Amino acid sequence: MGRNQKCVSITAGLLLTVALLMPAWAAPARFAGVTLTVFTQNPPYIAKPVQMFAPKWEAATGGKIRLVTAPFGELYTKMMSAFALGTGVYDVVIFASAWLGDFAGNRYLLDLSDRIKADAGLKWDDILPTYQQTVNWGGRLYGLPVDGDVHLAYYRRDALENPKYRADFKKKYGYDLRPPQTWKEYRDIAEFFNAWDWAGDGRTHYGVLEAFKRGGQAFWFFMSQAAAYVCPPGLKGCLFFDPETMVPQINNPGFVRALEDWVALVKLGPPGMINFDSGDVRSQFAAGAGALAKDWGDTGIVGSTDVKSVVKGKIGTMVLPGSSEVYDYKTKQWRKLDRPNVAPYLAFGGWVCGVAATARNPAAGYDFCRTLAEPANSYVAVTTSETGFNPFRFSHFRDLSGWKRFGFVEPDLSSYLKAIEQSLSHPNAQLDLKMPGQARYLDALETQLARAAAGQASARAALDAAAAQWERITNELGRERQKALYRDWLGLK
Amino acid sequence: MIHFPAPGRSRETAGPFLFPAVALLLLFTLFPFVFTVVLTLSRVSLVGGLQLQFTGASNWVRLVTDARFWTSVRNTVIMVLASVSLEFVLGLALALLLYAPLRAGGLFRVVFIVPMTLTPIAIGYMWRMIYDESIGPLNALLREVGLGPIGWVSGTHMPLASIIITNVWHWTPFLFVLLLAGLRGIPTEVVEAAQIDGASGLQIFRYVLMPMLTPTALAAVLLRSLEAFKIVDEIFIITGGGPGTRTESLTLQAYYVGLLSFDLAYGATVAMGLFLLVVAAAMVFLSITRRSREAEEHP
Repeated sequence: MGRNQKCVSITAGLLLTVALLMPAWAAPARFAGVTLTVFTQNPPYIAKPVQMFAPKWEAATGGKIRLVTAPFGELYTKMMSAFALGTGVYDVVIFASAWLGDFAGNRYLLDLSDRIKADAGLKWDDILPTYQQTVNWGGRLYGLPVDGDVHLAYYRRDALENPKYRADFKKKYGYDLRPPQTWKEYRDIAEFFNAWDWAGDGRTHYGVLEAFKRGGQAFWFFMSQAAAYVCPPGLKGCLFFDPETMVPQINNPGFVRALEDWVALVKLGPPGMINFDSGDVRSQFAAGAGALAKDWGDTGIVGSTDVKSVVKGKIGTMVLPGSSEVYDYKTKQWRKLDRPNVAPYLAFGGWVCGVAATARNPAAGYDFCRTLAEPANSYVAVTTSETGFNPFRFSHFRDLSGWKRFGFVEPDLSSYLKAIEQSLSHPNAQLDLKMPGQARYLDALETQLARAAAGQASARAALDAAAAQWERITNELGRERQKALYRDWLGLK
Repeated sequence: MIHFPAPGRSRETAGPFLFPAVALLLLFTLFPFVFTVVLTLSRVSLVGGLQLQFTGASNWVRLVTDARFWTSVRNTVIMVLASVSLEFVLGLALALLLYAPLRAGGLFRVVFIVPMTLTPIAIGYMWRMIYDESIGPLNALLREVGLGPIGWVSGTHMPLASIIITNVWHWTPFLFVLLLAGLRGIPTEVVEAAQIDGASGLQIFRYVLMPMLTPTALAAVLLRSLEAFKIVDEIFIITGGGPGTRTESLTLQAYYVGLLSFDLAYGATVAMGLFLLVVAAAMVFLSITRRSREAEEHP
């Protein structure tokens, strides 16, 4: 090689190197020197997406993410006290949408409406309208949805489709064994499959898996059953308070019957089920312990994708069962129906990413939240194990490739996605409570539910006690203010 | 040579030296106590910073009419009485066992105090696994010998009994150590004299060892009881206070109410209820022991 050729080669090499490095140099480090403190639940669930996407965000913006976590039971308390005392320690919080009333209502979060409106890349219209509502407080948007939550019913297809079991069931109960259409059928199926080796693996298996533990999401497990008993289509305020008076509805005859039926399930599950939380429901279903279960989308994910799962390819998912009678709190009458009253319950309402009002760099905070919420990243999050994020965009249901890579097989996948879509688009879908004091209302009811499940109080006595506590909380927080906020949330003038 | 100041001068100069300690004591002991009392008479709001609104005795009225509080009182009292009694009996038995010279006595002493050195959270998780009704070793063992599984943490009475068993396992070493030290402090001549006089082992225990051990035993039981009233960590891990509120102690209720429901004022009232219960129990205990001592001194 001649000297000229060598010079040309070296120059070309240098130019190539410079050209390759140019994008990195040229990329504007928009948030160089900015450190965002992100606070959410401890890993893996919910914190995992932050851990997944933080390096990408840091590389793209020059900023830094400091992740702080706490167990779910302490999350509300820590967030609320930090906000209320104005400590300003957290820039970004990922929290339960049900707490939006406390956080946005007290202006602890930044109003992100304008930023969302101006952000075409976020594809706001791709987010299901139900979840758009979870960040809406008084017509303004105080966060970005990063998760979609709805309670679903799960069943073991191999058990319910077994011809011998179908014949035996019909003989015993006088109707066909099928995925339960009512809570009565749910109970019968649970009873039929309880405490014998219906899976044929030499072990005892059980009828149903439920979370009864206080502090273990029992509130949502009960409410998702009760909704069908108390919410005829179009009746606003059926689930929590009478919007005219703010008198709690949780001890009306519909709730009492729902609680009696729910408590009856305690004996139709594995030993110790009274101490189960939602995590136990997931792991036990994946381990093949129950014929039926009720949970968020996670039971489907764990059952279909966990390497230790013994139920992969055997899971049917469906909209929550209904009730053949429904109590109307306005007329104070039970209504008998030809078809079961179904009321899918959007329990918990999903996780939301919000920017604290005290954030030192709001733009950076918003940018990190939109990193989690934008279509491509959120699709990766909802199709990755242990993120705790479930689908919340239309696009999450359309592209099946990620779900199959995730480990889902047919027909479980179609059944799973269809059940979620049907629940969310159901005309009688019920939203979870979202108003100031939500955590206090929840704890008061959950304590009494646990007492009823443990046999310490009758369903009536437990719910009366819970209603009395709800009245006290409402009075403490200001009845008129609570009423106005509740009516706002229901969309009533 | 060391010069000691005259007594009068010492009193004059003591003030400035004592001030830091007294100030710290007031700050970290008296202030939280007074603040807790204030909380029990208030309604607390954190919106816009900490705000207290005086509500008189409403929290106290709520406390005495709260069925959950009385369940917690009952649970706490049962746990204290049962666990401290069992710990005392077992601790004394172990102390007597190692009182006499024994080969490998030192090894046993170490083994016996191991549970006390573990953290309550670790113990909670360990016993939670042991009590697990599906895969726990206890029920597996019972199944092996043909006995049905027991609902260690899910039945009506067993959950409280399970907490007591865990507590006894954890804290018996505390009483064992104190009682053994008390026994070792008794002059051997007294025991030998009783033996020469022909006293049986039981008589020596009843009329020689026990009376001389009583001051140590009382202090040990009192200390242990005061600590037992505050039980929270093991319950939190093993049962979370459940099923329902069957194993909820007062401290756990105060935590749930104050820090999970965010009802700080009522949580403080529950905590103050526990304080009054402990004070009452200590007074009753001291009064009974004083009377029994007086009865022994002046039969």
